[in-house]
Amino acid sequence: MKYGRLILGVLLVCIMAGAAFASEDVIRIGVYLPLTGQMAFGGQLELDGVKMAHEAVPEVLGKKVELIVIDNKSDKVEAANAMQRLIEKEKVHAVIGTYGSSLAMAGGEISEKAGIPVMGTSCTNPLVTQGKKYYFRACFIDPFQGAAAAQYVFDNGSKKAAMLLDVASDYCVGLGKFFEDQFKKLGGELVTTLNYQSGDQDFTAQLTEIISKNPDVLFIPSYFAEGAIIIKQAKELGAKFMIMGGDAMDNPEMVKIGGEAIEGFAFTTFPYDPSMPEMSELQAQFTEAWKAKYPDKDSNANSALGYDSYMLVIDAMKRAGSADPEAVTKALAETKDFPGVTGSTTMNATHDAEKPVGIKKIEGGKQVFVGTVMPNL
Amino acid sequence: MKRTTRNALCNLLLLAAGAALLLWVDRTFDRYVVQVLNLIAINTILALSLNLIYGFTGMFSLGHAGFMAVGAYVSSLLILPQAQKQTIYILKPLIWPLSVLQAPFFVAVLLGGLAAALFAILISVPVLRLGGDYLGIATLGFAEIIRVVANNIVPITNGALGLKGIPSYANLWWTYGWCALAVIFIARLVQSNTGNVLKAIRDDEVAAKAMGIDVFKYKVISFTVGGFFAGIGGALLASLLTTIDPKMFTFMLTFNVLMIVVAGGLGSITGSVLSGAVITVLLEWLRFVENPVTIGGFTIPGVPGMRMVVFSLALLCIILFRREGIMGMREWSWDMLFRGRTRGGEAR
Repeated sequence: MKYGRLILGVLLVCIMAGAAFASEDVIRIGVYLPLTGQMAFGGQLELDGVKMAHEAVPEVLGKKVELIVIDNKSDKVEAANAMQRLIEKEKVHAVIGTYGSSLAMAGGEISEKAGIPVMGTSCTNPLVTQGKKYYFRACFIDPFQGAAAAQYVFDNGSKKAAMLLDVASDYCVGLGKFFEDQFKKLGGELVTTLNYQSGDQDFTAQLTEIISKNPDVLFIPSYFAEGAIIIKQAKELGAKFMIMGGDAMDNPEMVKIGGEAIEGFAFTTFPYDPSMPEMSELQAQFTEAWKAKYPDKDSNANSALGYDSYMLVIDAMKRAGSADPEAVTKALAETKDFPGVTGSTTMNATHDAEKPVGIKKIEGGKQVFVGTVMPNL
Repeated sequence: MKRTTRNALCNLLLLAAGAALLLWVDRTFDRYVVQVLNLIAINTILALSLNLIYGFTGMFSLGHAGFMAVGAYVSSLLILPQAQKQTIYILKPLIWPLSVLQAPFFVAVLLGGLAAALFAILISVPVLRLGGDYLGIATLGFAEIIRVVANNIVPITNGALGLKGIPSYANLWWTYGWCALAVIFIARLVQSNTGNVLKAIRDDEVAAKAMGIDVFKYKVISFTVGGFFAGIGGALLASLLTTIDPKMFTFMLTFNVLMIVVAGGLGSITGSVLSGAVITVLLEWLRFVENPVTIGGFTIPGVPGMRMVVFSLALLCIILFRREGIMGMREWSWDMLFRGRTRGGEAR
């Protein structure tokens, strides 16, 4: 038995070396997104974007990147659990996600404590990164977007606006408020603000009231399911005003649900669309690659944001020269003029991506990219 | 040694062992395990409170999410730091007395529970005159009202934006402390004479009335205690998650608690404690079915949502093959352990 201990010792060293080797060999990036539940349509598109980016750049710093995808079920408790699992169990170096600001807030608290950098995809509520050292996002924030929407409609001759808000949606209430602030600042008049609840199907009462107030524009920062019905019913009631929405309306399904009624509907979004007339080289590449990978699905701003989020994290790791969370966090905060599919990205002091707001319009049954707006805040 | 002294001693020993276990768990395991353990404690509190109302008193109540919301909002508003209160109310500022009120965590959770209990008393007066399914619908209505009100009184609840940055005081000590308190309190209650009265009402309300029992009074007591612990559970959950909004407190939340109660066994405290742990762990553990699996060279891609399919199948099996739940109406007790044979809880 003399050699027993020696063999055991050698074995132990081997195992430890193996473990150390395994953990050093790959860079683990966690992805938590709503893949089922209420917000699944957005989460799925973003996951497709992240996966595409991963295929394009599967290695960084000479190591393989491994994606660990976890579904947060569009639920806060699940989002917190998912983040906790990614950090403690999967030992990720960085996290990407999520669609839905309320989910990001639940996850953000945990990543903050653990000191793991997170790149938010499309959580646009200002509270998400407020006071957070480790939470970043690849998107602009709602105050910026709301102001851009107000700027756009005001510049196009609308002086009287009405709003129809979903009181149960944090996104909708926030965006509405920021639109109102900027529209009033520009000298416009808000004639009425009416409410509904998520899941409502009948908006005729509110729309009749709005039509009687005769506004130039109706702002509806809803999700596309309700938004499409609102537009349809407004047209049926004979509404003549312009209708404007936010980035949650940017979904390929929109035209299918809304049909002819949504002609002329405009919305703010991230400056990317597969039908953009003047694409940068990167955007053209992304559109081509998307068509090759998912021939039966249209890409949209969410998929592009998923793509950009991954690339931003990889870029930060390259600049930091390591996957160490602290170093990556520092590098992410210093991101400047990063060329992304959704435009050039610079992280500001509150960790929001500063990029122009795109305006899209539905014309001839298609989404048409009109241009970009930089609001005067 | 007398039986009661022996049992008391055993209970004390169990509590001490539990505390030691917590200390060990807190030091050794990672935050993920601790998070799940915290959820187990909170789910157990919630299940126990619903079991008291539904399992022991026979009142089919679907208003749990409403009580949780009240508890969560009251305690969160009391522990939110003032600076945080100023920054998160971006639509309308928080109204005056609430904007400066502060309380220690224990007091805040207690007040959350008391506020929920107050709501329970208020709604029980009109609603408890109903029975059976009608009561279920009425209490469901109450929970929906609470949620819609929370969405609309923006100067107090911050509307749909919800509260964030709630200090995370809820650790294993607090959650398991409250959980132990809930177990002891509700166990004592159902073993007392009041408990016998509650069970009598559950088994036959008319007969109980004929025996001279003030049925309405006892129903209100049961409903209020249930509401109180639901409020406590909500308050702890808010501090554990550090963010709440009205969307959390939908019918689905009540349904989750109901599922734990039914799976554990209606009218069994042991059952609620067991299934609170089993279901919470199962939900997390089943995540592996959503990951891509490689079996002998074949790779099956992960399907999001698969977890819920498997979970629902497991529930179906419980209900099909063991309709009375894990424990039925039986309870675990020291007597059972020492005598080495099982005995029905109702026989005591």
